[in-house]
Amino acid sequence: MRIRDKDKGIRRYLSVIFSFMIFFLPIFPQVAIADNVSQAQLQKIEQQWQTSAHALAEVNCSSCHQNEETKAFMAKPTEESCKSCHENSVDTFLLGKHGIRTLEGMSPLTPAMAHLPMKDGSLDKQMNCNTCHNVHTVNTYQASVDSCLTCHSDRHSLNYKNSPHANIFQEIGTLPRPNQNSVTCATCHLPREVSGDKVLVNHNNTYTLKPRDRMAKEVCMNCHGLEHAFNSIFDDELVEANFARPPTQKLPTFKLVRDHEKKRSRSLP
Amino acid sequence: MARNVSRGFRPFALLSSKFAIIGAMIILVLWLGSAFAFDSQSVFLPGETSDGHVLFEASCKSCHEGFKPVSNDTCNRCHEAEMAKDIHGAKKFRDPRWAELRENIDVLTCTACHQEHVHMFSRGVNLPPDLCMACHQGVIDGDLASHDGFEPDGCWTGGCHNFHDHRSISTAFLRENLDQPWMLPKPKLPERVVTTKLDTAPKADLSQEFLGGGI
Repeated sequence: MRIRDKDKGIRRYLSVIFSFMIFFLPIFPQVAIADNVSQAQLQKIEQQWQTSAHALAEVNCSSCHQNEETKAFMAKPTEESCKSCHENSVDTFLLGKHGIRTLEGMSPLTPAMAHLPMKDGSLDKQMNCNTCHNVHTVNTYQASVDSCLTCHSDRHSLNYKNSPHANIFQEIGTLPRPNQNSVTCATCHLPREVSGDKVLVNHNNTYTLKPRDRMAKEVCMNCHGLEHAFNSIFDDELVEANFARPPTQKLPTFKLVRDHEKKRSRSLP
Repeated sequence: MARNVSRGFRPFALLSSKFAIIGAMIILVLWLGSAFAFDSQSVFLPGETSDGHVLFEASCKSCHEGFKPVSNDTCNRCHEAEMAKDIHGAKKFRDPRWAELRENIDVLTCTACHQEHVHMFSRGVNLPPDLCMACHQGVIDGDLASHDGFEPDGCWTGGCHNFHDHRSISTAFLRENLDQPWMLPKPKLPERVVTTKLDTAPKADLSQEFLGGGI
C-alpha cells in the first residue's frame, strides 16, 4: 500500500513537471531535425555542385560538411562553415535584421516574427545562408530576387516585377550571377562594395535601408543623377510602386542650393 | 449573535488572505524565476522596444551587463560601420571649440538621444524632433538666410538631414551634383568576378555519410 502511495506521489510529481514542460515548450529553441536524404537527391546535389564555382575552386563536400577539427560529419552546416571563406558576407549578414537573432544566440529569424507583410507559405522558414542561397549551385541569380520574393509580400517587393529595373534584369540577366547592369533587390539592399582589390557584398540588409539619403548616395547614385535619385526615394508612393515611373516631385532642397549658388556667384568679384 | 458570526468569520478571512498573498508571491517568484531560467526574458521588458531592436528584445544581455548603464561600446558592437564617419563624433567634440556645446546635449553618449524602451519619435530617437535647436537655432533664425522660417522640428524628420552622416546633404555635395542627367553616362556598380582554380570538378569526397541523414 505504502509503495503504491509513493508511486502515486511520484506520478503526480512527474505530471506536474511534464505540464510545466509543455507550458514552457515554445520557449525552447527549435531542435533541427535532419531530413533523410535519398540516393536520387544526393545525385542531383552532386550534379549541381559539379558545375558550380565551389567545385572549380576545390570546395568539396567535406569542406562544409565536416568539422574542421574533429572531422565529424555535419548534415546541416551552419553559417560558421560559410564564414571560413566568406567572412565579410557572414559578418555583415549577422548585423542586419536577417541575422541579428543568430548573432545574439537566439533562434534564427523567421518571417512569422516580421512586422512587414510576409507570404503565408514562408512563415516558418529560418534565416541562414542556405535560406536565400542554393549553396550547391552557388548561383546568386536566384538569391538576388527570387529568394527575397519567397517571403516578402509588401507592395514595394511585389511591384518589383513591374518595374523598369526588373525589365533590365530580365533582358540581360546572366548566370551564375547578375552582371553590373542588372538591378535586382540585392543591388540596392545588399549592395556590392569595392574593398581593396575585392568586390564584397554587404549582407547587412538594414544598412542602406534607412535613412533614405544613405540609400540615395550609396546605391541610387551609382547609376542615377542626384536630383532624380532624391526626388524618387523621398516619394513614398513611388517607393511603394518600386519606381515604376519617373519622379514628379521637385524637392525644395535643390531650389535652396540653386538660390545659394546664385547669391554666391553674385557676391564673387 | 453578530459577534459570534464575526468571530467565526475573521480568522478564516485572515487565513484566506494570507494564503492568497503567499500563493501570489510564490506564483510570481516561480513565474519570474522560470522566465529567467528558461531564457524567456521578455517579461522583464520595461516598455516598447524600437523597430531596430525589437527582434532580439528578449536577449537582455545583448545590451545590458547586469544593471550597469548601456555604454557606447555596447552600441558600437553592431553599429560601428554606420558610425565610421560620424560628423557629430568624438573628433569634433573633443575639440575645445565645440566641447562646450556638449552641455546642451551630451552628443558623445549614444543613449543621450537613443534611449530604449521609451517612446520613439522616429529612427530610434527618443528626444523630441526639434533636438537640433539645442545648438542650431540660428539656422532658422537668421544665421543662414536660406533656412529662415523653417520649422524647428523638420531638419531630420523631413528626411533632409542626417545627424551622424552629412555627406549626402552637404551644400558642397549637392552643388557638385546639381543638374546631372537622370541616368549617369556609365553605371558605377562593381562587377563581381569569381576566379576558380580548376577547369573540371574534382570527385565528390563524401557520399554515404549523407544517406544516414543524422549528425
